[in-house]
Amino acid sequence: MDSGIIAQLFPGIASLMVQDTTIAIARIALIVFGFVLAYLGFKRVLEPLIMVPMGVGMICINCGVLFLDGGKTGTLFLDPLISDPAALVDIMQINFLQPIYNLTFSNSLVACVVFMGVGAMCEIGFILANPWTSIIIAIFAECGTFVTLVLGVHLGLTPPEAAAVASIGGADGPMVLFTSLMLAPHLFVPISVIAYLYLSLTYAGYPWLLKLMVPKALRGKDIMYYAPEVPKAKKFIFILVCCALLCLLLPMAAPLIMSFFLGMAIKEAEIVPYQDLIESTLLYMGTLMLGLLLGTLCEASTLLNPKVAPLIVLGVLALTVSGAVGVLGGYVVYWFKKGDFNPVVGIAGVSCVPTTAKIAQHAAEDEDPFSVVMPVAMGANIGGVIVSAIACGVFIATIGMVK
Amino acid sequence: MSVELYALFSYAFTAAIALVMIGAVVLLNKIMGGNDEGGME
Repeated sequence: MDSGIIAQLFPGIASLMVQDTTIAIARIALIVFGFVLAYLGFKRVLEPLIMVPMGVGMICINCGVLFLDGGKTGTLFLDPLISDPAALVDIMQINFLQPIYNLTFSNSLVACVVFMGVGAMCEIGFILANPWTSIIIAIFAECGTFVTLVLGVHLGLTPPEAAAVASIGGADGPMVLFTSLMLAPHLFVPISVIAYLYLSLTYAGYPWLLKLMVPKALRGKDIMYYAPEVPKAKKFIFILVCCALLCLLLPMAAPLIMSFFLGMAIKEAEIVPYQDLIESTLLYMGTLMLGLLLGTLCEASTLLNPKVAPLIVLGVLALTVSGAVGVLGGYVVYWFKKGDFNPVVGIAGVSCVPTTAKIAQHAAEDEDPFSVVMPVAMGANIGGVIVSAIACGVFIATIGMVK
Repeated sequence: MSVELYALFSYAFTAAIALVMIGAVVLLNKIMGGNDEGGME
């Protein structure tokens, strides 16, 4: 049988033979990696909502390579490099994920939809109960972002690229997506994949960080929580004021800020049909498409970019520094409140809602089953989301100042 | 501006905006008054 017929019958396998050896090996490695991610999602070791579609997408994009016109290799999923409007209209009628990519992904719509869902899940009452504590811990826990920015530039990234990868320190998936699309669109695939992978791993890593930084006696400390009964009308006004203020100060991040506070406003206004739409449809639809598109964008050639290696190191560093400095923030509040505070809450300033708040609660109840820190940790968590959004807006607006 | 100086500036600017925002909320709460019980710190 000649090779032409084999290529026609089994283009996925034949394309491995004709491609550059490095690309072919990377394709096989990514197929295996996709299996690992999907399986770890299935086993709940990693976040299944993102990892199962991402793993499946990664497997299929690297298996489903075929020969296109002119003998070039490609897929029928999507081509992220198309920019000419006429070519885009043509390709949208061939690649099944192209419309979703161009109309919801590259303009950050999907990040905003997911963020709207995050807003709809956040209870502003937690931050209103302890506004200063929440925001101060969140400011401490944003430190990894700024440390990583400096190291990223010293590792050879341009300032916008370093700022995009540094946003992983905020531990907020939609925010990383938004910042990388705005500042380093050519690197947003590896940055987003690394961010979501590491965010899934915080659940395993942060408890160790707490054990390392907070002595056993302090970890089980209960926190007195006075929940103010704030009327709903007042909460609603607070949401509108925060939204207006942040949009006014950071117009570059206004789409993301609006999405977050719109989700919160709908929750407080108790518009049930919209709440159902956001929480049970838009959020899950957005997350599914996010995972699937990130997976299908993981082509071997994209991830073989030499700039990807430093991103892997910087991502870990950003989350570790943010977590560690967040705990230091917890100690500052502990000292300021003369011991009436549990420093483990500091980890919740890293805005991975509600994962890091749950980590703080688990760390406390592991030492004392009656210890409750969750309400205070949720306040810090929501503060973390707000501070991450501010940091992202500041980067987008001012990164040009670095020479 | 060097990247180190920029990192300090952007961190301070981020913190300032966050504190202004939360300060506005606390101030507004005081002006509006009328929490049923408890209160903000």
